[in-house]
Amino acid sequence: MIENYILMHKGGQEEYRDNIFVNYSSSLTMAMLYLPLESEFSVTDEASVAALVQGSSKMRFIDLSESIYPILTNLRNYMLIRIDDKHIEIERHGKVFAYIVQNGELKMLPNGMTSLEDGDRLICCTGEFMRCLNDIAILSDAVIADSAEEWMDNLVCRISDRNRLSEGNLTAVTMIVRSGD
Amino acid sequence: METSFADLPQLQSFVIPAVVLFVATAVAFFLLTGVYIKRKDAGRLDDTELYLDCAYFCEIGKRPSQQDSLYISPLSDYRKYGITAIVADGMGGMEYGGEISKKVVDFVEGMCPMSFFASEQNADSIRKLSNELYEEYHLSGGSTLAMVHIAGNYLNYYSVGDSDIILVREDVPTILNPRQNYMALLIKSLCRNNKQTQSAYTNSKSRSLIDFMGNQNPRVIYTKKPIRIFDGDKIIVSSDGLTDAVSLRNMTHYMRDSASSTASELKRAVASRKRPKQDNYTAIVFTVKRSFL
Repeated sequence: MIENYILMHKGGQEEYRDNIFVNYSSSLTMAMLYLPLESEFSVTDEASVAALVQGSSKMRFIDLSESIYPILTNLRNYMLIRIDDKHIEIERHGKVFAYIVQNGELKMLPNGMTSLEDGDRLICCTGEFMRCLNDIAILSDAVIADSAEEWMDNLVCRISDRNRLSEGNLTAVTMIVRSGD
Repeated sequence: METSFADLPQLQSFVIPAVVLFVATAVAFFLLTGVYIKRKDAGRLDDTELYLDCAYFCEIGKRPSQQDSLYISPLSDYRKYGITAIVADGMGGMEYGGEISKKVVDFVEGMCPMSFFASEQNADSIRKLSNELYEEYHLSGGSTLAMVHIAGNYLNYYSVGDSDIILVREDVPTILNPRQNYMALLIKSLCRNNKQTQSAYTNSKSRSLIDFMGNQNPRVIYTKKPIRIFDGDKIIVSSDGLTDAVSLRNMTHYMRDSASSTASELKRAVASRKRPKQDNYTAIVFTVKRSFL
């Protein structure tokens, strides 16, 4: 099981423009879209991505990636994730980031597949979310948290201390691998 | 007439030692730089040779009494048990703040040497102490707790309240532990409602603690997994008397190579602010260095 907590906050903007589409099945499949102000993304395309992610349970990750790519090709900042309690597969494009806590350090996840263990802590986020944080802050909040939600709350407090959540949209997912559950 | 080198005993006696000295220096230079480069390349994987340098200060500020307490476990035990350092800040305006902070550090001293790998049990012991303090003082006093336990190249920390544990890495200071105050609750609530958080900072009660030593069953924040530390890191455990006077952003100006110089600079920085209501200010400073030998 992957315990997760999703933050979708509009920040100081009129509306929330980033997006996250999630499919909860035996594995968790997710598409995270980061839309800085200059980016445009049509409602139709957004609906297409949502439909693809919803129908992706039995689709191979690479097939999902290839299906989504033509829709998101103009959107330079997005990430696809598929995670279960053994592996995570990631495809990142542009200013979106994915990290894992390992051996007391925060390490960036490479594109492709990475093995996971019980208790592993991961975070995927947009460049805007990351802008007010650093590796040590993310790591420290990860290792003290009892839950993915608590980890996110502590990170939000740090961002708030910097900008009162008054700038861009904030989009992130914290995840904890719970193999025993 | 030709003259051979062998025919010049004076020159011989000068050149041979010079050549030997030059070769020996060159060999030593390449060996040492080779070792250094190898270590640098090995970078953060080389586990064995970090050592700590430690210093502290505990100043009364403009308050009538000292309510901060601190304890540092013996450096001589470092190789075997690691080092434990704690700052407890007695809650101002409460009758027994100083007394409770002293009890907290005395209790931690009694826990030492503590197991580095039993952070959950250690946190549980701290929680039990808080319950005992609650029974004794019935909320007529309280104290914070900020504690680090460093062993090998790793750091565990424990925190109750709003004292600070700061890690300075590559000149960037980061407070590791979240503050357990009302502001954090307000921010969480505003964020849930998709709102900005300015009002959390202007609320008159925002700095009130929601957890402290002396409260019943406080939440003891502790690291479930240790944090890796590296050559050049600086760790500061302090009461808020320091961080209220010297902002985190400015803290790097006072970082020096040695712990004692850093502590002196920080102490001087607070004193130079001449704040009329300066709280007690206490800090334990560690600098992490790689042993060359």
